[in-house]
Amino acid sequence: MFVEEIFGDYAAFAPIIIMLISALILPAVHFAGKRHTVTWAVALVFAVVSMAVNAYMLVDGFTGTTLGVYEYDAYTGVMLLLFQIVLFLAILVSNASTETTRLHVGAYYALLTGATTGMMFVAGSSDLLTIFVGVELTSISSYALVTMKRNDSRAAEAGVKYVIVGGLSTALTIYGISMIYGLTGTTDIAAIAASTAIDGMNWILAIGLVCMVAGYGFKIAAVPFHMWAPDVYEGASSPVSLFLATGSKKMGLSVFFQIFLVLFVAGSSLSAICGEEVQYLFAIIAAFTMTVGNVVAIAQNNIKRMLAYSSIAQAGYILIVMAVMTDYALASGMFHMFTHVFMKGGAFLIVGALICAGLGEKISDYKGLAKRSPFLAAAMLLFLFSLAGIPPLAGFTSKFFLFSSALGGVDGLTSQWVWLAFIAILNSAISLYYYARVVKAMYIEKGESTEKIKIPAVFTVAIVICVVFVIVLGVYPQLIFDYCETAAAALLL
Amino acid sequence: MSIESLILPLLIVIPLIGAVATLFMGGEKQKYAKWVAGVFSGITLIVTLYMMYAGFEDWTVFTVGYDWIDTSSVHIGFDLMVDGLSVLMIFLTALLTLLVVVFSSAESDRANYFHTLLMAMEVGLMGVFMAADYFLFYVMWEVTLIPMYFLISWYGGPRRHYAAIKFFIYTHVASLVMLIGIFAMGWECMAVTGTMDFGFDTMAEIMPATSQAFQVAVFALLFFGFMVKMPSVPFHTWLPDAHVEAPTAGSVILAGVMLKMGSYGIIRICLECFPEGAAYWQWVIIAIGLISMVYGAYACIAQTDLKKMVAFSSISHMGMVMVGIGCLSDIGITFAIFQMFAHGLISAMLFMVCGFTGHAVGTREMPLLGGLAGRMPIYATFMMIAFMASLGLPGLVGFWGEFPLVYGFYEFIKAEGVMWLLVFCLLTLMLTAGYYIWAMQKTLFGPETKKIDLEHVHDISKPEFVALAVLAVLVALFGVWPDAALSFIDPYVDFLVGVL
Repeated sequence: MFVEEIFGDYAAFAPIIIMLISALILPAVHFAGKRHTVTWAVALVFAVVSMAVNAYMLVDGFTGTTLGVYEYDAYTGVMLLLFQIVLFLAILVSNASTETTRLHVGAYYALLTGATTGMMFVAGSSDLLTIFVGVELTSISSYALVTMKRNDSRAAEAGVKYVIVGGLSTALTIYGISMIYGLTGTTDIAAIAASTAIDGMNWILAIGLVCMVAGYGFKIAAVPFHMWAPDVYEGASSPVSLFLATGSKKMGLSVFFQIFLVLFVAGSSLSAICGEEVQYLFAIIAAFTMTVGNVVAIAQNNIKRMLAYSSIAQAGYILIVMAVMTDYALASGMFHMFTHVFMKGGAFLIVGALICAGLGEKISDYKGLAKRSPFLAAAMLLFLFSLAGIPPLAGFTSKFFLFSSALGGVDGLTSQWVWLAFIAILNSAISLYYYARVVKAMYIEKGESTEKIKIPAVFTVAIVICVVFVIVLGVYPQLIFDYCETAAAALLL
Repeated sequence: MSIESLILPLLIVIPLIGAVATLFMGGEKQKYAKWVAGVFSGITLIVTLYMMYAGFEDWTVFTVGYDWIDTSSVHIGFDLMVDGLSVLMIFLTALLTLLVVVFSSAESDRANYFHTLLMAMEVGLMGVFMAADYFLFYVMWEVTLIPMYFLISWYGGPRRHYAAIKFFIYTHVASLVMLIGIFAMGWECMAVTGTMDFGFDTMAEIMPATSQAFQVAVFALLFFGFMVKMPSVPFHTWLPDAHVEAPTAGSVILAGVMLKMGSYGIIRICLECFPEGAAYWQWVIIAIGLISMVYGAYACIAQTDLKKMVAFSSISHMGMVMVGIGCLSDIGITFAIFQMFAHGLISAMLFMVCGFTGHAVGTREMPLLGGLAGRMPIYATFMMIAFMASLGLPGLVGFWGEFPLVYGFYEFIKAEGVMWLLVFCLLTLMLTAGYYIWAMQKTLFGPETKKIDLEHVHDISKPEFVALAVLAVLVALFGVWPDAALSFIDPYVDFLVGVL
């Protein structure tokens, strides 16, 4: 395979190396030329090349380890693909968006790429510390990205909140990791799962696990650690909101999969000690996350905040995987992450495009949009209905798999998580209400202006990509679901 | 590939093409949208009639399927089927869509979208009645919601936004509960066969053999979803709102076909797959049916809005279907299915007549109307035919929906020794006759009303006449020759009773 020929022993690291080179040369490219478009094009080319290399490795079924810490398998490949799609969408529209900084263009793209590198690093790690390092790389880059929308006090507020909450979560996480390390003498996740040093439930183990859940819970904005998310998504520029809501949140979920699913996979010595308790802990977090996210979203008038709360709810749906802990659940959770990228990403793209066209962020600003821009209104309708889980769109198919996983155990029907499935489905119905409000504003209410809306061409391209995938993944989920199944099997070997 | 295997996919594809074609007929071209919609729904009806005429293996089952999603753990097929139960529903769908397009040919406000929604509706309904895979069934079930939501909220009356969202949320929540039942079936299938196969045929083999507790629980989940759609008391409140606000076309499709989705689901899924569950819940089904029947009829008496009255009468008639199903006997189910068909024809007529009253006279409030027969004789004739058919006059199709059904119920309660339950049926028949005759007296006969200006009222237009006349002929035809429909139903019910 050509990847091995070029990268040799570092083949498993290839997509990350490309990203790193990109992150390092982008500021230089910008200083050399001072041309925004050139910097943008270089960033885009690197993102596409990295995505192509990864897609090739994934389809080829490549597996390998680099430096003994980074392991590329089907799971890594699928997660990498997800992050790269997010990065591609975010970069694609950044140059055209009026919200993007005009001062530090090189740094902006370097930070976006750097944050993605962190995510990609997480996806291939199997050690608590390397995961921690990857998460920090992403987080610190994100803090700067959020505040880059200068001259906006909301961005400054969001940035400060994000840094403080992020710092707290980091502290909690590393504290939890140190407890586990103290107990088992290793940070390798598989080794901890098999460790014989833990012979029963004790306080150190409990504190260690709870701190880690809480610390990473902040990253995915799980209730009750969700307060920062709406402020940050509202304050950041739309491409960055898209990046955070669809990308960095998925990294947090991937961390949960990689740490807790592997630690508590059926048969590990840890699962015998407190597997059941941890499952219930996650089930309760999942139930609260989806309920709070959906209920609070009803009260929002700012569309970005509404989308932020709906993101919280979607993370709650995906946390069902953590309660059920089966291969099938993991595969369907990963599939939902993919569909979420396109539907939520598409919604943020439309919001961003309309901001460029001079529209506000209030839901009432969307009145009469169907007349002013039939394309954007129709696309938004698709994304929102997909988020609400209306067939035959992608959001329905992935929810079908995800919610159905709550009723299944390793070998057939179990009634243990039926209540969770009920809560999820009730939430799905609640969510329809606030999505329908936007649809109503766009299609049924009359707006003050009937002037046609013109948006930058790249936004149209990005939105069309999302529309295509929302429909294709809805009617032909196997395109990605097959890979998700392989990936789930690879992680939960 | 034989021509037969093409027919079922065609019934979905043709309206779909019609929907897409009308969608892009904005601006000047929108006045041709009705012709396009008419042609495509006409072709659909012709294909349906050919299918009914040609017949497939004596109307047992005809299926055609393609793999859709086939992974290591899940099998979902794009499977379509038609048998004696679904063929009449498919016929109703094709017929009513065409007649509605004809009836509403005066619609000029965003006419292209109006027809797109009607055609999309037909796609969903055809899909529901033909699906032979639970995933596909659920997809189609939900697909019917969206066009109806927009039909009500774009073309409806003054409180249309409220009615549309209420309709959407009620039926969406109910179908989500149903979805949990489908998940449970999937995992049970996983336990038996090793993959989740959502095909109707696989499920029909596995499910009747499952434990009683499982059958009882899953029957309840699915039944809830279908019951809200029918709708049955106490989850009926969305229906009067939706009907009052919906445009005539929406009401006709809603009452004529969409409500049948509920009873179709109960027979097709609940009864076929969960005979023990059905036996366990039998009295609950009958109780819900009886309450809906009596309450619906009783509520009709109190209505002043003609259309709202007809909406409540739909609840009453669908309650009758529920009672027939609840008997779990040959005659009960046969005539429950016949009643579904009969009510489809009659309620379509009823809603067309009521809708016409609204836009010709300007109001549907019965206290304001009176003596319309003099000025609008043709309209009055159709209204009388529709009302008489609905109250079960012998010789019209409604009679065959009601009388044998009550007889089946009588046989059942006689065997059970609870003859007094017959009181509810008699009460309903009495109330039904009462409110219809009363409504006719108030609107058609007597002295001409002075409360509204009748100077500009006109009798029905040509397209409206055509639509109503076709229905009236069918109502009379099936009234004297019910066997035309029963010959489709019989083989299916024989099979179903064998399962129960």
